[in-house]
Amino acid sequence: MRKILRLFFGLALVMFLLPHLAQAQERTVTGTIVSEDNKTPLVGVTVRVKGTKRITQTDANGKFSIKMNPGETLQFSYVGYVTAEAKPGEGETVGISLKTADNMMGEVVVTAMDIKRNPRELGYSVQKVSGTEIQETQRENFLNSLQGRVAGLTLDQTSGVAGASSSIVLRGFNSLSLSNQPLYVVDGVILDNQSLNETSSGGQGIGLASDRPNRNNDYQNRIADINPNDIETITVLKGPEATALYGSQASSGAIVITTKRPKTTKLSVQYDNSFRFQRVTRWPEVLDAYANGVNNVASNVFSYYGPAYAPGTQLFDNKKQFFRTGFAQTHNLGVDFGFKKSLFRFSASYFDQKGVVPNNDFRRINLRLSNTTKLWNDKLEIIPSVAYIKSENNKVLRSAGGYLLSLLIWPNTNDIRNYEDASTGDKLDLFSGLSANGEYDNPLFNVRKNRSYDETDRKTASLGININPFKWLSISGRFGYDTYDMFGYQFYHPQSFYVTAGSGGTLDNYWRQYEGYNHTITATFKKTFGKHWNFRLMGGTMWQDYETRMFASYGTNIVDNVNTTDGKMYRAPRDANGNPTGPAVVVSDRDLNNLLGNYMDTTVTRPITRLRLLRNRFGEYNLNILRQAAYFGEFAVSFKNFVFLNYTHRFEEASTLPAQNRKYNYPGGSLSIIMSDMIPSLKKGGVLGYWKLRTSLAGTARLNTPYSTQSVFVNNFASGGGFSYGFFNNSLDLGPERQSTYELGTEFRLFNSRLNLDITYYNTKNKGQIIQNFRLSYGTGFVLNTQNAASTRNQGIEIAVDYDILKGKALAWNMRFNFNKMWNKVIGMPRNVAEYYIADTWLYGNARGGLVLGGPTTSITAIAYRRNDKGQILINPLSGLPVSTPAFIVVGDRNPDFTVGWMNTFRWKNWKLNFLLDLKAGGDIFNGTNRFLTNVGKSKLTADRYQPRVISGVLFNGLENSGTPTANTIAVIPAFNNQYYTTMPEEAFIEKNVNWFRLRDVTLSYTFPKNFIKSFKSLSAFITGNDLILLTNYSGADPAVNGNTAGSLGVGAFGFDYGTLPSPLQVNLGLRASF
Amino acid sequence: MKNKAVKFLYIAGVTGLLTLGSCSKKIDEAYVNPNATTRVPVETMLPGIIGNMVGSSSAQGSAYGTANDGLYIGRYVQFWATNTTGNQFDQMAGATGASDLLGSVWAMHYYGMGQNLGRMIDWAAEEGKTDFVGVGYAIRAWSWLTMTNMYGDAILRQAFDANRLVFDYDSQEDMYNEVRRLCHLAIATLNSATSSPQLAQGDAYFYGGDLNKWKKFAYSVLSRSFNHLTNKSIYNPDSVIYYANLGINNASDNAAAKFLATGLSGTYNFFGPFRSNVGALRQSRFIANLMIGLNPMFPAVTDPRAPYIIRGNTNGTYRGIRPNKGSDGLATNDQPENFWGQAFSSTTAPGTDVTCRYIFRNGSPFPIITAAEVHFMKAEAYLRKGAAFAAQARQSYIDGINASFDMLTGTADYHNSVPAAMQITPASRAAYLANPVVVPAVGSLTRSHIMLQKFIAMYGFGLVETWVDIRRYHYTDLDPVTGLQVYADLTPPSGTDLFTDNFGKLVYRARPRYNSEFLYNIAALDAVGGRALDYHTKEQWFSKP
Repeated sequence: MRKILRLFFGLALVMFLLPHLAQAQERTVTGTIVSEDNKTPLVGVTVRVKGTKRITQTDANGKFSIKMNPGETLQFSYVGYVTAEAKPGEGETVGISLKTADNMMGEVVVTAMDIKRNPRELGYSVQKVSGTEIQETQRENFLNSLQGRVAGLTLDQTSGVAGASSSIVLRGFNSLSLSNQPLYVVDGVILDNQSLNETSSGGQGIGLASDRPNRNNDYQNRIADINPNDIETITVLKGPEATALYGSQASSGAIVITTKRPKTTKLSVQYDNSFRFQRVTRWPEVLDAYANGVNNVASNVFSYYGPAYAPGTQLFDNKKQFFRTGFAQTHNLGVDFGFKKSLFRFSASYFDQKGVVPNNDFRRINLRLSNTTKLWNDKLEIIPSVAYIKSENNKVLRSAGGYLLSLLIWPNTNDIRNYEDASTGDKLDLFSGLSANGEYDNPLFNVRKNRSYDETDRKTASLGININPFKWLSISGRFGYDTYDMFGYQFYHPQSFYVTAGSGGTLDNYWRQYEGYNHTITATFKKTFGKHWNFRLMGGTMWQDYETRMFASYGTNIVDNVNTTDGKMYRAPRDANGNPTGPAVVVSDRDLNNLLGNYMDTTVTRPITRLRLLRNRFGEYNLNILRQAAYFGEFAVSFKNFVFLNYTHRFEEASTLPAQNRKYNYPGGSLSIIMSDMIPSLKKGGVLGYWKLRTSLAGTARLNTPYSTQSVFVNNFASGGGFSYGFFNNSLDLGPERQSTYELGTEFRLFNSRLNLDITYYNTKNKGQIIQNFRLSYGTGFVLNTQNAASTRNQGIEIAVDYDILKGKALAWNMRFNFNKMWNKVIGMPRNVAEYYIADTWLYGNARGGLVLGGPTTSITAIAYRRNDKGQILINPLSGLPVSTPAFIVVGDRNPDFTVGWMNTFRWKNWKLNFLLDLKAGGDIFNGTNRFLTNVGKSKLTADRYQPRVISGVLFNGLENSGTPTANTIAVIPAFNNQYYTTMPEEAFIEKNVNWFRLRDVTLSYTFPKNFIKSFKSLSAFITGNDLILLTNYSGADPAVNGNTAGSLGVGAFGFDYGTLPSPLQVNLGLRASF
Repeated sequence: MKNKAVKFLYIAGVTGLLTLGSCSKKIDEAYVNPNATTRVPVETMLPGIIGNMVGSSSAQGSAYGTANDGLYIGRYVQFWATNTTGNQFDQMAGATGASDLLGSVWAMHYYGMGQNLGRMIDWAAEEGKTDFVGVGYAIRAWSWLTMTNMYGDAILRQAFDANRLVFDYDSQEDMYNEVRRLCHLAIATLNSATSSPQLAQGDAYFYGGDLNKWKKFAYSVLSRSFNHLTNKSIYNPDSVIYYANLGINNASDNAAAKFLATGLSGTYNFFGPFRSNVGALRQSRFIANLMIGLNPMFPAVTDPRAPYIIRGNTNGTYRGIRPNKGSDGLATNDQPENFWGQAFSSTTAPGTDVTCRYIFRNGSPFPIITAAEVHFMKAEAYLRKGAAFAAQARQSYIDGINASFDMLTGTADYHNSVPAAMQITPASRAAYLANPVVVPAVGSLTRSHIMLQKFIAMYGFGLVETWVDIRRYHYTDLDPVTGLQVYADLTPPSGTDLFTDNFGKLVYRARPRYNSEFLYNIAALDAVGGRALDYHTKEQWFSKP
C-alpha cells in the first residue's frame, strides 16, 4: 500500500517538475478512471492509444500510465460502461469518469444501510421514484403519491378527509396479524410510522382508555409528517433479500428516502406554492322517493319503507348543504447556502387545509436544516440534520357513528341546517317525542358537536458520518433520534345518538410521547485480486430503541344525564370530590361549551367514572418499548463487472420475544449476471443493449408486538374493584415468525435503452406465523393467545416497462407501466380452527376479513344464502324468504386479479404534461354502506319494492336435498314485507370483480423562458388534478376504501366499505420559482 | 500504517463486544410488560370472581355470569317474555349464527373465573391463606354445577390447561362428581381455616368473610347436586336432606352478590335501570296467575309477595303475557308495567331507580342460593321418601315459604322500595300460610305445591336452578300421585310459537359459547353433536332416568 502511494506521489512530483522535458516527444500519460455513478475507481479498464497496439489496464486504484505521442487519442473501454476517449494536453493528468452503458436515469440506488450501489450489482428488484414526481402530485401525505408508480405497491388510504391516514403494503400481505407495513428509512435512519392504535387491551397497552377498535376515528400515520418537498428520491426495496440487512423491522420491505442535499455554496432560493380546491363528487347513490315508515305504513322511524312522498312534498338537497368546497394552500421554501466545504440547506413548508366536511381541517408546518461538511481532505464527511414538524387536525367521526351514514339516511323532507336550537344550541329532535339520545345525530350536529382533535409536535435529528481513512476501508455511521408529543381527544356530546342518556356524554383524551433512537455503524473493506476479481466485506452493527408512552383517560357524565322525556341535559353542582351539592339544573349546549372550554380535558367528567391506562393510575405513563440489537455482515464478490454474488447474514436479538427465542439469525444471498456483457455478441444488431438476470434468496423474521406473550392482570370494574386476568394467555415459547423468499428477475434495455423492461417473480413463504389475538377454546382459561400458528404463501409477478416513445428535443413522450399480479394462500392453520378473522375488520353486519385453510389470505367471510346440494337457494316455507347459513363462510376474495399503473409524460418545448392512470381489475368488496342503506330503505336496490316476486329457490322443508325438492312459489311484495330486504344475508352485498380505472394525478406545467423575470433563475407554473376521473363497475362511491385505520394490523379492512368518505376530486394551482 | 489499521480494528472489536453485553441487558429489561402485573394479592382477585357469578365487569370482558344468560333462560322458564312478538328465545330457540348469546355462563366459568380462581387458590395456599382456598373451592364447585346445568357435556379434565389447543368434552356425570369432590374439599378446608381481614375485604360484596356462611354455601351446592337427580335410580333423598340441613337454612344466610352501585356501570345490578338490560322483558302470565289466585293449584289466593315480585298495571291488577304473543291481547290498562315501573310499551330505562323494586333496582342484592330453595329441596326429598315423611315434607315446605317472605321483608332494597300500603305485614303473611289452599294438611302436600312455591320463591334470580327443576319435570310431566301436571298451568310454546330449528321439541340445553367452541374446538363439539340445529333440544344427563 505504502509503495503504491509513494509511487503515486513520486509520479505526480515527476510530472509537476518535468513538464517541459516531455515536450514534442513520446511521453508517459497517467490518470485515474472512476465510475461516474459512485466515483469508485474502476479496475481493469482497457486503455488503448487509438489506432495503435499500445494498450494497458488500470490497476487496483483505477490508475494507469501509458506512453503516447502528441496528437494521439486515448480510448477507454470497460465492460458495462460506455467507451470514452480523451486527448490529454501537455502534462495533463487524465481523470475520466466512465458512464454506465445502460445510461440509466438513476445511476446509483441507495440500498439498505444507506449503501449506494450500481443497479447492475443487485440481485433483486428495486424501484425508484423521484422527489419531483412526488411533489408534482401535490399530495401532502407523500405515501398517497406512490400508488401506481411502483409495481407491487398497494396504497391503502383510510378516507378522503383532511388528515386521513394511509398505509402501504409491498408485495401483498404476508403476515396475518402483525404489521405488513414497510420500514421507513430517511437518510439511513429509521423514522417512526405508527398510527395511534386505539386498542389498549384493557389498559395494559398504549391505546385509548376506552379501548376502542380503530373504526370510528382516524389518526395520522406518522411518516406522513415528512415534508414531501424535502424528498430527493424514494427507493422502494420490496423483498426481504433487499432489506435483509435491516432485519425484522423491514420484513415487509422498506421505503428508503433520500432527502435533498445542499448543492452549492452560492445562495440559492427556491419557492413554490399551491392552492387547492376540493369537491366531493362521489357518494353512494340513495333513493329519495319514500317516506319514513315500515311495511308501507308511515311512521317516525329511520326507515324509508313508508309510502311514496306525496306529490309536491318539499325535498331538500341535504348533501349539497352539508359538504363544502375544500381549500388548501401550501408554501414551500428552500434555501441552499454554504461556506467552503460546509454546505447548508434550510427548508420550510406550510400546509393549511380546510376539508370538504365541515369542521374538518388540517395544518402542518415543517422546518428542516441539513448540512454536509467535509474535513481532512474529504476523508471525513459529516451530514447532520434537524427537523421540526407541527401538525394539528380537527377530525370528524367515520363509519358507524360517522356523519356520512346519517347524511345518507337523513330524511330529505328535513333541512339539515336546522340541527340546533337557535338560542340554546341543543340538539333539535327530528321526530318529536323521542329522547335526544334515541335519535340519529343530524350530520351537521355530528361533525360540529362530536368533536375530535389531535396535534403533534415532532422533532427529528440525524447524523451521518463517513470516514474513509484508507483506500480499502470506509466506515460509516448513521445516528437517528426521533421524538414527538401528541395530544388529542374525542368527545361525544351528551345528546348524541352514540351515547346513552345516563352517560351524560363521554370524553376520551390522551397524551402520547414517542422517543426513538437508532444507529447503524458499518465498516467496509474492499480488495481487488488480479484484474477481474473484486471483493467487498462489510460488517456492521445496529441498535434500535423505541419507546412510546401513553397517558389516556376516559370519563363520562359531563352532565348528569339527558332527560329521556324532555331531551334536556341536567347537571348538579358538585364539590371537589364530585359529590352533588344541590339539585340538578338544566344545562344547555351553550353552557356545556363554556364548561368544556377549548381544551378538552377529562377533568370535566365525573371523577368516579374515569378510566385510565393501568400505570396512569400511579401518575405514570404506560410504556411500549421495543429494543433490538443486530450484527450483520455482507460478503460480495464480482467478476469482470458482469457477475455479482452477494451473501449477507444478520444476527438479531429483540426484546419482544421470550429469552430462549430472543436470538435468531437469517441469511440472504443474491446473484446478478449481466448477460449482455458476458456474451457481448448479444448486443449485435443494436436491439438488445443490456440484459441482466438476477436471483435472490433470503430469510427474515417478523416480531410480535411488545408484551404480547405475557398474561397480565387488568382492572376489575365490578363492585369491590381489584384485578382479573386479561384476555391473553401466556405464550412463553413464542418464536419469531419466519419468512423466506426467493425472487427471480430479468431486465432488458432495448433500442438504445429507449425501451426498458424489468420482470420479477417472487415467492414468499411465511412459517410459524405469529397470530396475535388468536382465539382458542376458553378451556385454556383465557380468550386470546399469541401463537406461532399459521403458514401462508404469497407469490407475485411484477413487470415494469419504461418506453421513450418520442425523444426529440422539442417533443418527448415517455410512457411507463407498472403491472402487478399477486396471489396468496393460507397453507397452514391449526386443525381446530375453522376460520380465523381479525376482529377489527368485523365492521358491520355479518361480514369480516376471515380466512380459512387453503383459501386466500384476503378472503371475506360472511353469512350467506343457505343452499341445497345442487346449489339452489333454500326458502323458508313460511315466509317465502331465503334462509341464511348458520355460520360464516367464504364469500369473496379482496385480492385484485392485477393492477396497472400507467404513467405518461409529454414534453413540448416549455410545456410538460404528465398523468398517471391507475387500473385495478378484479377483487371483491363488501358494500356495507349499501347493506345499511338497504336495511333502512334508502338503497336503489329497493326501488322496485312494489314489484311482486317469487325468489327462485326451493323450500327448506326437508325435501331440499331429495330428488324432488319443492320449488318456491310464495310471492312477496317487499314494500309490504320489509324483511325481504332487512334479512338479506351479507353475501348479497359482496360485489364481485370490482374494477377501477382512474385518472389519479394529472399535471400540466409551463416553464417560463429564462430571464422572463430578471433575478429569477427559473419560474414555472402548474396545474394538478387528483382523482379527477373514476370509471368503475362498483355500485358504491369509490372502491378504494378501507374500514380501519392504518393502525390496524394484519390484512386490515381494505375492501370493506362502510360509511367512509372517498377521496374528493381536487385541483391544485401553483407557481415554482428559484432565485 | 498496517499497525494503525490493526489497532483500529482491535479497538472497534473490543468496543463491539462490550456493547454486546450491555445491549442484551437493555433488551432483557424491555421484555416484561411494565404496565401491568403478573401477581396480585389474593384479596384483590376475589371481587372479580364474585362479580362473575352474576355479571362480570373487567377491563377485558364484561357481562359474563348468570344474569346475562338469565335474560334468555328466564324466557324458557316463563319468568318473563318479550313485549313484542318474534323473539327467538320466547320461541325456545337456542343461540344461532355467530352469536355468543347464552354463552355468558361458559365465559364466566372458563375465562372469568377460570385462571383467576385457580391462581387465587394456588397463591392463597402458598401464602397460608386457607380461608381463601376454601372459599375458592366452594365457588368453583358452584360454577361447575351451574355451567354443566346449562351446557351438559363440557370440558372438564383438560380444562384450564393453558398449553392446550383443543379440549375434549367430558360427561356431565363426571362434572357432578367433581362438584361433590370440590364441595367436600371446600368444607374440609374451611373447617381448618380462620377468617382473615383480607377475606372480609375481598368478600365485601358477598358474605363479608363469614366462613360459616361459606360452609353453608358449599353444603347447599352439594344438596343441589343430589337434588338434581330425582329421575335417576341412584337418586338418594337422604343425601339431599343431609346436606340441606347443613346448608343455608335462614334467609340471613342467603348467598347473594351485592353491589356498590356508584360510578362505573360494573358496580350496578345487571337488572337495574342503570344497566338497562331488562327493558323489553315483561312478567309472564304464568307468574302473574300464580300470585293472584288464577293458578289451579292456588285458586283465589292473592299472594302478599305479589307487589314485591311482579308489577301491576293502571287498572291496579296483576296480569302477564305469554311467550311470543307480544302484549297478548291485553287491553292497555291491563298491560303490566315493565320491571322498572314504566309503561308496558316503554323499553328505555329511567334515570333513577325510584320506581323499581325487588331485584330490578340498581343496588339490589342478587341471590345465588337462598334458604327458601334449600327448604324446598328438602321438602321435595321428604315427599319423595314416602308417606312416612309427610310431616317433615310439609314443615320444610312451610319453612321454604317463610324463608321467601323473610328474604323480601329482610332485604332493604326489596322491602323499602314497595309502597307502604302494599308491604307484607305479619298478619298478611300469617293469613297466607294459614290458607289450606297454600299449605294443605299433612299428607295432602303435592309436588306441584312444592315446585310452584319454589318457582315463586326463586322468581327472577333462580334462573339456571329453576330451569333445572322444570327440565327435571320435562316442563309438563304429570305428578304420579295426582295425575296432574306438576307445573300446573305452565304451557310451553308450541306450533308456530316454537322455533323452526326445534323440530317441535322443547329446549334442554344451551350450546357452548360460539366464540370459544364453534371456530376453534370443532372436533370436540362435533363429538357431542354440538353443531346440530336442534342441539339445544337434547336432554341432559341429570334429568334422564
